[in-house]
Amino acid sequence: MVQPLIRLEEIVKRFGNFTALDGVSMEVHPGEVHALLGDNGAGKSTLIKVLAGVHQPTSGRIYVDGEPVSFRNPLAASDAGIGTVYQDLALNALTSVTRNFFMGREITKGARPFGIMQTREMNRIAREEMGKIGIDIANPEQAVGTMSGGQKQTLAIARAIYFGARVLILDEPTSALGQKQQLEVLKTIKTVRNRGDIAVILITHNEIHAQLVADRYTFLSLGRVIGSGVADELGGGDIRRLMAGGAEMADLEQELATVP
Amino acid sequence: MESATTESADTGRRQEADRLKHAGWFSRLVHRPEIGAFSGMVVLLVFLAVVAGDVVYNPLGIKNNLSIIAQLGIIATGACMLMIAGEFDLSIGSMIGFAGMSMAVMLKWGLPFGLGPASPLAALLITLCITLSIGWLIGFIVVRTRLSSFIVTLSFLFILRGATEVCFRTFNGSTQVSGLPDYKQTDAVAALFGGETFQWFYDVLFWLGLNYNRAGDQWVTGFDAKVAWWLAIAGVAWFVLSRTQVGNWIYATGGNEEAARANGVPTDKVKVSLFMFTAFCATIFAATQVFDTNTADAAKGNLKELEAIAASVVGGVILSGGFGSIVGVVFGAVIFGLVQNSVFYISWIDGSYYRTFLGTVLLIAALSNETIRKRFTGGI
Ligand SMILES: Nc1ncnc2c1ncn2[C@@H]1O[C@H](COP(=O)(O)OP(=O)(O)O)[C@@H](O)[C@H]1O
Ligand SMILES: [Mg+2]
Repeated sequence: MVQPLIRLEEIVKRFGNFTALDGVSMEVHPGEVHALLGDNGAGKSTLIKVLAGVHQPTSGRIYVDGEPVSFRNPLAASDAGIGTVYQDLALNALTSVTRNFFMGREITKGARPFGIMQTREMNRIAREEMGKIGIDIANPEQAVGTMSGGQKQTLAIARAIYFGARVLILDEPTSALGQKQQLEVLKTIKTVRNRGDIAVILITHNEIHAQLVADRYTFLSLGRVIGSGVADELGGGDIRRLMAGGAEMADLEQELATVP
Repeated sequence: MESATTESADTGRRQEADRLKHAGWFSRLVHRPEIGAFSGMVVLLVFLAVVAGDVVYNPLGIKNNLSIIAQLGIIATGACMLMIAGEFDLSIGSMIGFAGMSMAVMLKWGLPFGLGPASPLAALLITLCITLSIGWLIGFIVVRTRLSSFIVTLSFLFILRGATEVCFRTFNGSTQVSGLPDYKQTDAVAALFGGETFQWFYDVLFWLGLNYNRAGDQWVTGFDAKVAWWLAIAGVAWFVLSRTQVGNWIYATGGNEEAARANGVPTDKVKVSLFMFTAFCATIFAATQVFDTNTADAAKGNLKELEAIAASVVGGVILSGGFGSIVGVVFGAVIFGLVQNSVFYISWIDGSYYRTFLGTVLLIAALSNETIRKRFTGGI
């Protein structure tokens, strides 16, 4: 079998007495969308923060291309090709698409930091890169704040890919969006997957969204992996049950029935 | 059965991007951040032409107005850059007093450590070293402690003003120095700050017959040098902010500091540099004053920090950072300087109303800036 791009082994993360992750293992492959599912507080965000270098694991190992790595900070992770698109998207709403796309990595002529920005080239690249994953922005000089939620997601994703992300971590990218924009983001995710060289880790609460795009699943509950598998092997019932932390629908119905 | 729902023909083919109207040049122009300040400036210029055109727009009136505007413009440029990066500097006014004192004391009593008499250049350079160091220190404290720059620079407002007075008293027994030699007549550096500039403008006016005194000689000979300093500083700042890499860093730092840092922008360095830049602007302001009037006073620069911030806000800079432009602040400085200076020429207005008027302008500007910010951030 092909080598996974990223392998997590027995990751434990404690915050003081509280064990947020209790021996989590998972594998992420290029050209796949890996859905990371679980109830609120299951530890999904903590897991990706460990992967993104925000938190250091208490114990456990991370392998990139089979090599053990440890990320001291987010920059180290992003240098290793791990691009995280956080919920706030790391954008400055008041400035243009292009200025956001190249934030901190401007194309310039002349000595840093007073080099002159090559605005025309930057505009072209920003527009092209967003176009590649499915959104045509008419004017790359428009303020990000005037874009739709879906377009902002696309901007953040296109930026991560352009600057070398091989693993794209999306933390609930559809949660704050309306129906149509959710679909836009799902399309973007599919386009990224179809490139074949990028692995996508998708965190979502929405089981339908997961089923629409995921190739592989990992279910977390209370800091542990309670199930995993590839899309073809898991039925809708399994997914629903595992998302609810392993409870059967019948159990839930029974529990609800006890409420007078 | 008939379908209960109706669909228009192009449903599904319409895209999010289609909802953004392609803006024409006019709409783009009126959506520029400077448009409010620009309109305000035009209205004010026309108003002054109508009610006091003969005094405001005569050769001397233009010179005097531009001097006030330029002084304010110099420090407003520094304040604006810093505000776009998300911080304040309330120490600008005290820094002006401090820098003026430092130069005057050296010019009068010589270099420190008994190194002999000070030339204007030496006095200026040593003062710059001191003020830039203080600017660095302020920035360093702000980024290290994460204290609000409002409090840190408020502290330096008091510290520097106090230090200025103490130094004056120690050397001179009073809170001022006067009667310095008129360096600008003999020294090129002093002339660069305290002399005149753009003399050709008034030469042309004279040649056109618009600039003569009662004796028929040329009346006004040139603008104060501070006008050239203002244009130079504002020009460089405009270029840096709108065209260079560090300009984008400044916007990013003020707009979303976390995001900027996550994307590799050295936000702390950006901020510290800008605190040094406001100190630089304050020092240039002081130099133009000292070498023009050959005096220094512990009270110099009082309240200037607030005027600089106000002019920036009138120019469209948003208090929370991340948005604004130098062009807007140029207009803001013109508005503020004109009102300060010209209201006194209008006989039927009590000159003391000028502060009331400025306050009103400031409030209107802040409200309209907020509207812009809401439009861009989706009302948060
Ligand atoms: N920095 C932290 N310090 C202490 N507890 C934390 C911290 N981050 C997360 N937790 C806890 O870890 C658990 C998992 O959180 P999280 O990973 O955010 O869950 P999820 O994203 O799956 O909803 C939660 O109970 C949360 O309170
Ligand atoms: Mg979460």
